[in-house]
Amino acid sequence: MATMEIEGRVFEVDGDGFLSNPELWNDEVAQLFARYDGIELMNERHWAIVRIIRRNYEEKGMAPMIRTICQETGIKLREIYELFPFGPARGACRVAGLPKPDGCV
Amino acid sequence: MTNDEGRMTKDQLTREQIWKGLEPLRGNGDSKLLTHLNSCVHCGLCAESCLFYMATRDPHLTPARKVDLISSIYKRYHTFTGKYLPALVHARDLDEASAREMVDLLFGACTLCGRCTMHCSIGVDISYLVAVGRNMLSNMGMVPATLQSTVQAAVETGNNMAIPTGEFVETLKWMEEEVVDEVGDPAARIPVDEPGKQILYTLNPREPKFFPLSIAAMAKIFYVAGESWTLSTRMYDVTNYAYFSGNNGEAALIANRLWNEMNHLQAGSLVLAECGHGTRAFRWESPNYLERGFPFPVMSSVECIAAYIREGKIQLDPEKIKTKVTMHDPCNLVRCGGIIREQRYILHQFIRDFVEMTPGGTDNHCCGGGGGMLSMSEYNERRMKAGEIKAEQIRISGAEIVVTPCHNCVDQLIQVNATFKLGVQIKTMAEIVADALIIRNQNP
Repeated sequence: MATMEIEGRVFEVDGDGFLSNPELWNDEVAQLFARYDGIELMNERHWAIVRIIRRNYEEKGMAPMIRTICQETGIKLREIYELFPFGPARGACRVAGLPKPDGCV
Repeated sequence: MTNDEGRMTKDQLTREQIWKGLEPLRGNGDSKLLTHLNSCVHCGLCAESCLFYMATRDPHLTPARKVDLISSIYKRYHTFTGKYLPALVHARDLDEASAREMVDLLFGACTLCGRCTMHCSIGVDISYLVAVGRNMLSNMGMVPATLQSTVQAAVETGNNMAIPTGEFVETLKWMEEEVVDEVGDPAARIPVDEPGKQILYTLNPREPKFFPLSIAAMAKIFYVAGESWTLSTRMYDVTNYAYFSGNNGEAALIANRLWNEMNHLQAGSLVLAECGHGTRAFRWESPNYLERGFPFPVMSSVECIAAYIREGKIQLDPEKIKTKVTMHDPCNLVRCGGIIREQRYILHQFIRDFVEMTPGGTDNHCCGGGGGMLSMSEYNERRMKAGEIKAEQIRISGAEIVVTPCHNCVDQLIQVNATFKLGVQIKTMAEIVADALIIRNQNP
């Protein structure tokens, strides 16, 4: 188990920096993880994406399809890639406190 | 089970684990295995060809050490001196310590990129031996859980991201709308489960899940080429992570599904999406897994696009992309598979400012994300250290766009791009081709 320190807070994470215990996630954690990825202050679009990912995870146990994210937030696909420089999986899902998705991501 | 093997149970491994782990080394007179296991002359040339040695300068990570580890275990159980005077020939027991070392070196410090094999002064197929070592670990149930969970998702759900069929179909419809908009033809389609088509096309599940623009890009190319094609909902996953985990039984099971789907849909030929290991596992390894040859043509989408250009079925606009472009060669497709010229032929049609990476082509450095590394979180740090070599290559190229015909490489390059602040765009081949595609309405 690795740990990651952001602004004095220490988090237990996997080797890729995904939160080991998704239950410990809250808004403050999200903002700290985002800052670690170079997103200084999350705007409402970041939050809208993170909230829908989080809700899907809590309801279905996995990250939503990107189609669902676009549909529910009204944010265009290409903009999502710009909002999270590490992409929807390593970026947005990590900020939303999910475990790392399987596959080539 | 021999007495020797029985004695090895002193550590935590069970007798059964050891017996199964040694199975791939019994070889039954496999001359390839025996030759490659016993030929290394320790010249050290492989060290400088290995991404992990170059990135860390840790002598433990050199390819020769990986070969030596497997061959020392082989000697212990299959040679006279190894059995009776093991210390004399550095023969090692297969025990907890050597098995852990195998996991760290063969899963955690090798992407099976094959560059060491190409550089080996006497032609030892080092990545083949690493694959044999992974097969041993798989037999022992020692595949890293992080890697195994992706294999498991594929085996259990039919795709390696466990995407439900309904969600997959919705995404295809969404992308179909995108294609309709872009080509300006309401009749443009992304066909699903249609029998008797010329081509069955496949996808990497990361496309429908997170990066669907590459699906729309390929659909646009098929549209303009006037191709008869379909996707399948039953089996569309081009990946085969069991090739990485070394479980040949699961690799055969996954490959067989694609094979069956070709028969089920009675498609003319199979086009594999931009996926290095998936292409390798299906096109070049699956005839071995399944012990039969293909009754249908199999090609990569890169070869398919190149053929469309050659046959005049698609045209690309050289005015469209004016920035400098470089290309990352996926190891499995290029070094291991020999698909080298097709992607260059495509780019030279419409990219005016193209620059090769140095080294490039068959000598290219791996991105660092191959061999299942992307899924094994525990090796993230090592993977990104290896990725720094690629970052430097990209930086030196001065390119603003990096094209790579492999989704796995794309993902590693996205992380490399963000981590090392390269500020480049990463694109698949279908995406950059679709960007410059001259649209001709097929139903004017």
